[in-house]
Amino acid sequence: MPDQPPQDGVTLTIDGRSVTVPKGTLVVEAAKLLSIEVPVFCYHHKLNPVGACRLCLVEISPGPPKPQTACTTPVAEGMTVRTNTAGAVAARADILEYELVNHPLDCPVCDKGGECPLQDYTFRHGYPTSRIDAPRLHFEKPVPLSDKIALDRERCVLCYRCTRYYDEIAWEQELTTDQRGVSSFITNQFDRPLQSIFSGNIIDLCPVGALTSRVWRFESRPWDMDHTASVCSKCAVGCNVTMWQRRHQLVRVTSHENDAVDDGWICDRGRFDYTEVNSPDRLRAPRVKGAHATWNDALDALLDGVRGKKLGISVRQDLTNEEALLLKRLVDGPWAGARVVMPRRTRIPAAEGETLHIVELERARCIVVIASDTADDVPVVNLRIKKAVSKHGARLILVHPDDLDLDRWPHGVHHVRPGAGGYAEALRDLRDHEYLKEGPVAVLYGDAQGSEDGGAIAAAAAGLAQAVGGKLMPLYRATNERGALALSLLGEETDLEGCEAVLIIGPGAPPASARFTAVWDFLLRPEHGEPDVLLPSPTFAEQQGSYTNLEGRVQFLRPPLHVEPPLRESWDVLLDIGQRLDAGLDFLGIVQIQKAAAQAAPALAALAGPPAPAAAPTAVLYGPARP
Amino acid sequence: MAELRGSHGKAKHHLLTQHFGTEGLATLKGYQKLGGYETLERALGMEPKALVDEVKASGLRGRGGAGFATGVKWSFMPPPDGGPRYVVVNADESEPGTSKDRYLMENSPHMVLEGILIAAFAVQSHQAWIYIRGEYDHPYQMLMTAIGELREAKILGDRPFGKDYALDIQVYRGHGAYICGEETALLESLEGKRAQPRSRPPYPAAKGAWARPTLLNNIETLATVPWIIKHGAAEYTKFGTEKNRGTRLLSVSGNIRKPGVYEIEIGVPFTHVIMELAGGPFEGRQIKAFWPGGSSAKVLPASRMDVTTDAEALAAADSMAGSGGCMVADDTACMVETTYRLLKFYAYESCGKCTPCRVGGNWAVRTVAKILAGEGSRLDLQILDKIQAGLQDGRCLCGLGDSAGWVVQSAMNHFPEEFEEHAVRHTCSVKRERAAASA
Repeated sequence: MPDQPPQDGVTLTIDGRSVTVPKGTLVVEAAKLLSIEVPVFCYHHKLNPVGACRLCLVEISPGPPKPQTACTTPVAEGMTVRTNTAGAVAARADILEYELVNHPLDCPVCDKGGECPLQDYTFRHGYPTSRIDAPRLHFEKPVPLSDKIALDRERCVLCYRCTRYYDEIAWEQELTTDQRGVSSFITNQFDRPLQSIFSGNIIDLCPVGALTSRVWRFESRPWDMDHTASVCSKCAVGCNVTMWQRRHQLVRVTSHENDAVDDGWICDRGRFDYTEVNSPDRLRAPRVKGAHATWNDALDALLDGVRGKKLGISVRQDLTNEEALLLKRLVDGPWAGARVVMPRRTRIPAAEGETLHIVELERARCIVVIASDTADDVPVVNLRIKKAVSKHGARLILVHPDDLDLDRWPHGVHHVRPGAGGYAEALRDLRDHEYLKEGPVAVLYGDAQGSEDGGAIAAAAAGLAQAVGGKLMPLYRATNERGALALSLLGEETDLEGCEAVLIIGPGAPPASARFTAVWDFLLRPEHGEPDVLLPSPTFAEQQGSYTNLEGRVQFLRPPLHVEPPLRESWDVLLDIGQRLDAGLDFLGIVQIQKAAAQAAPALAALAGPPAPAAAPTAVLYGPARP
Repeated sequence: MAELRGSHGKAKHHLLTQHFGTEGLATLKGYQKLGGYETLERALGMEPKALVDEVKASGLRGRGGAGFATGVKWSFMPPPDGGPRYVVVNADESEPGTSKDRYLMENSPHMVLEGILIAAFAVQSHQAWIYIRGEYDHPYQMLMTAIGELREAKILGDRPFGKDYALDIQVYRGHGAYICGEETALLESLEGKRAQPRSRPPYPAAKGAWARPTLLNNIETLATVPWIIKHGAAEYTKFGTEKNRGTRLLSVSGNIRKPGVYEIEIGVPFTHVIMELAGGPFEGRQIKAFWPGGSSAKVLPASRMDVTTDAEALAAADSMAGSGGCMVADDTACMVETTYRLLKFYAYESCGKCTPCRVGGNWAVRTVAKILAGEGSRLDLQILDKIQAGLQDGRCLCGLGDSAGWVVQSAMNHFPEEFEEHAVRHTCSVKRERAAASA
């Protein structure tokens, strides 16, 4: 059945074809629905339109008898748009020619070459030959904007996407334009390197090769890479990412727009912290007492080592739901009494039932953020809060002892600093605040980085939410904390002190009391010391499985790299351990584990169904067709 | 007292410059002696709508360059919603060849301020901003002195003339960019941002300064308002042409004997302005070309001096009335060089926001430079022609790009042989004649 036109739909004609779109849609977005390409540089569907690059010129009637910018013109009933008249075609070709007047044309060595809108548009909309014989203007280049991002000012087309992003989305004052006219260039504010944790998004936004990742720079050409749409493993937000591999190396991570979770943005941790995957020091085979061993011997040594001792297990923050289920079965069975901790997790208790979804923040009229520096704890949720405030007019109440980046909004922000009575008292006093009179209210709470009792903060937040009719969102920090909590894997303890045998999965130091240490990680880290047994693990770019993000959404990993023997999938190793211990872990594969997990915890019910087929990654530049 | 180079109240049509030259006109006392601020007092007792209607009926059109009907613009202001709304006065007079606003501010600052205050009341605003060109130091000082006098006399303040309607004027000095004369770039600059034009809509009447309803008018436009309110729209419509009522100031400069600011009745021909008011060319010289409305207006050859000063006639002659800056060139001027000078100005003043103006202006400058250096060819003329076309007709975000295009287009249109001579034969007959004359 075709999509029903929305109630307040507006029907217009573009190049002779009729389309009905919601009121307020821009002409450029309506054209996308008809697969008519209106080229754009400055326009981006997540940024406010400015009409600066003038590349989207089309003829619109009724209207003045000259080309109009499709990116700033909202649709109107009965409007006729023509993108293919001689005037409009020439106007766009002229603009492209202008963009190339001073462009260095260094496509053969440019990272953007092959996925460059300037290249693509020039082929599709530009003049086939060049009339430019003037000497090109030059700028100093490349300019490091930070240790992660390089700027090539000669390639820049001054679409101002990067500066507008910094202004509108990230609320940072780090990037600006200097000089004017043809001498204009993008530069750091006051020549200070970019500090923002959101800086990397400008690389995705840049429609030419002006902003490039220094981590990936000159690493590979776009057409040499394969990519998968996966999930970031760095925190509990669960941003969708595109992982790019070349010759079995993870060479790049970019955003993969999912409006339900990340709104198209990722933070710099997710974007740049991937190089360990390609480390030459990667562990590939197990070791026992420092010597290479077979998996068989290593697992025997592990089981022998822990037998009869008080066992402690430290799990990495991005433990998958599947691994969590298997570990839970082990600590419920043969390893009963073992203590399980997860470094970096919050002290927030397990969430009960449905909590606020990230996307609902945009509908909130008031957002209360308690005991969390969201920019650090849950970076991309922080961007969504900023969007709710700056683009949807939500008001903000911050309950935190320090100044936060959210304080930068000039009005409608109320900052409470908890006093001697702690968060409980601060939240009680807050209940009658005028901002809370208008709903929906979203109550987000963290754990004050462990400085106060997480349970008490959660209870106080729940009390506030109940009093004002708000909806709660616990801000878990560790990637799959919510999934591990749903399976009751994690206990109250925060460390392994006192355990005689420890299994460290991922980063973490063994306690002084440990007489036997097994480490299971993809790198041997200094804090691991000299473990008795060392097991290699796959990375987030290789392992199968799923994460539960902080809102309770279960998302599947789509690893771009294979697990190459002797490396083994973690769930496979855990099954092996289970069978050695007669723990009844007789699953035949990951799908069965997922089904069992779905039964074990209602929160993981989504694991019962097969993962949705991998969607083709959406290039950030074009974006989905929507108003 | 500034030296008077221009009209000062001898003729019947000298409405604005009527009292110019009167001792003490710049002071509040002197201005009030001549009936100043009586109109404001009367206006504050009128219905705001009646003021708007009066201005509408007068047929007054904006003097900043676009020539939009002032009363209509006033009526675009949405009804008051309780929030702030502004009158922003464009005194960023940076159009080459234009100095009429300066003439007004230096001679009769109080007339300007009275017009601003009447406009503020008419559109129900309590706060007016004057955005004055940074280089205008003397006019700035005079305005500040005049505003100080008004505050002291309580004409500015909570209860001007005892009426319950607060009025205030703030002056903001620009930092030296031509683009700030563009209304939306002016607003950006006023808000403390980079002076770059905004995409319209929304127009300033809906979302102007600080995203609030804003009326933007030129100094001369508002300076005319007190006269209209005092004498009535019917009296004003006795001057000018059917579609172009009233009088206006033309700043005449260039190769003429008596450069200055002249108040003319709209509709007189440029022969009158250039040959009579401005004294015509120097001895032995011929007028070659003139720009009737500031450097942005397309150049016209001397043979078109018969064109009249009203917007319609100028539009028919493929030029525009613009900001009233009439620049005159005589036969010692090489039109390619002149084009180069003007073009360099537009390229230098491009804000850099939109592509055609940022790149096209600079590309055009470099192309003309090449032609001037004797390295051009017929292809360069074709490229130049293409560049100017690519700057016009909505290709650019604001009018600056169009103006750069017009500079080239009109010069190439009216003086093709000079461009041909430079580009193809690599000589300049004007320069040759100049050299011969000096030898």
